[in-house]
Amino acid sequence: MITAAGLSRSFNGHPAVENVSFDLPSGSLLALLGPNGAGKTTTIRMLLGLIHPTAGSATVGGIALSSGEDARRHLRGSCGFLTETPGFYDRRSALDNLRFFGRLYDLPNPEERIERQLRAFDLWEHREKPVGSFSKGMKQRLAIIRALFHEPKVLFLDEPTAGLDPESALEVRELIARLKTEGRTIVVCTHNLNEAERLADWVGILRRRLIAFDTLSNLQRGAGSERSIRLGLGPNPDQWRPSAGAFPGVVNVELEGASLRVSVRENAVVPSLVAALAAAGATIYEVTPERSTLESVYLSCIREPG
Amino acid sequence: MIRRGIVLSFLGHELRDLRTNARVVPLFFIFPILGITFPVAIALLGPSMVTEASRDPGMMAVLKAATNVIEFQGLDMSDAMTRYMMRAVVAFYLLMPIAVGSTAAAFSIVGEKQQRTLEPILATPITDREFLAGKLMVCLVPTVAVTWLTGVVAVALVDAVTYVRARELLLPDRFWVVGIGVLAPLLGIAVTLVTMRLSARSVDPQATVQASALAIIPGFLVIFGLFGRILIASFPALLVGIGIMIALDFWLFRLVEKTFEREEILTRWR
Repeated sequence: MITAAGLSRSFNGHPAVENVSFDLPSGSLLALLGPNGAGKTTTIRMLLGLIHPTAGSATVGGIALSSGEDARRHLRGSCGFLTETPGFYDRRSALDNLRFFGRLYDLPNPEERIERQLRAFDLWEHREKPVGSFSKGMKQRLAIIRALFHEPKVLFLDEPTAGLDPESALEVRELIARLKTEGRTIVVCTHNLNEAERLADWVGILRRRLIAFDTLSNLQRGAGSERSIRLGLGPNPDQWRPSAGAFPGVVNVELEGASLRVSVRENAVVPSLVAALAAAGATIYEVTPERSTLESVYLSCIREPG
Repeated sequence: MIRRGIVLSFLGHELRDLRTNARVVPLFFIFPILGITFPVAIALLGPSMVTEASRDPGMMAVLKAATNVIEFQGLDMSDAMTRYMMRAVVAFYLLMPIAVGSTAAAFSIVGEKQQRTLEPILATPITDREFLAGKLMVCLVPTVAVTWLTGVVAVALVDAVTYVRARELLLPDRFWVVGIGVLAPLLGIAVTLVTMRLSARSVDPQATVQASALAIIPGFLVIFGLFGRILIASFPALLVGIGIMIALDFWLFRLVEKTFEREEILTRWR
């Protein structure tokens, strides 16, 4: 659904995004992670056709970015975009705001769509109130309606929960999860790793360049160069710590309850370690590979020298 | 191509905002009051101005200029003087769309930036041309409507005065119809476009208002000092002015459209 090939953008000669390439299947949710200034917003603005790449190309929903202004206009009309700040006319009612943006999208039956969405997002009762009186969470829900009411297949959400209190953030996350079940392709820029871990099928880690891009589960399985396993051992597991620690390829061993948490350089070390411990008389009743958290994946990627 | 519905959306949406714009609303009252007071006062004082001219060298110069206008030759001095002064008032009407339009336009784009509504607007499938045409109409339509309405009221009151006094309807003459009806909107378009260009490049609404004020001063000077005199004396000069303004407006719209950089606007504004 979204393909980027060597997408790059410089501002006044300073690269903001360099050589970003990925292929996002239809109906999946990509969490685009990265520190401030990593190029996340620039990347989605390029994918939306709002700013031009200085190099590279991309196709979003079958529309190539380089196909001229008409195609870019079509692209903007077929994608939804939640901007970093909700951006509404505060003195106007929710209804007035949505009507205005609805006309800009040239929607047929805007009133019907607006009512349906306002009801679906529990804002119908507040439709006549000025948006300035809304809580941040309500504004964000309203902004999501604006991003959705032309029924886009591709949705870009820039920091959808930034600045929200935990309850509102949870509400918005639930909304995003609901949108995902509707088969939309969604790109979410976020700093919130917990949110990404809960929602994402794919994760891209951006630090000007796309330093990681894979499914969430693949990234969690292969964080950094180290792997960890948990060995469930018989009585007194601590007695096996020195011999496990001395085994070639083992980086670290820690006692955690009735188990040893063993970090190894590579997965190939695990069978021979287990065999050696068993041969030495250890009772091993469980060997469990440990999954990395997205946080550890993210930090190991970001800390690698760029 | 410009979709009319998009332009009307901006118009409908923003007219209500304009009513609460503290910088623009007073202008909608001040200019019409002056625009009605001046011609009515001239109509009332016309005959006495001739008497005044014998004592005041300034008024004498005006009277001389009035009687030198080819079209006024053959009229009595009082009538020539009144008609001449009425034409001079047209210059004031030309200022109305300049002053009001530029003040409204100063906020047109930078105001959207300030409210953070610009990016959601630019993310919709509207074209630059539609956006700019919408903003132009928002600034221009109320301004021109007020200018025309003021002109109609002034004509009615002036005619009431001159009819009672001399059974004569002085206005509208062709200067009023063409000057206020055609040239005033054209000047308004030009100044609004220049101010919109400033607004698009600005990151500070106050700075835009100040810059727009500076931008219209040359316009004021031209109208009062040079253009005004020629207008009063010559109807063909008025038509030439209209021709120039039509060409200038087209050129300015193309220029503003060409230099409207969505990218720059989105990436410079924080």
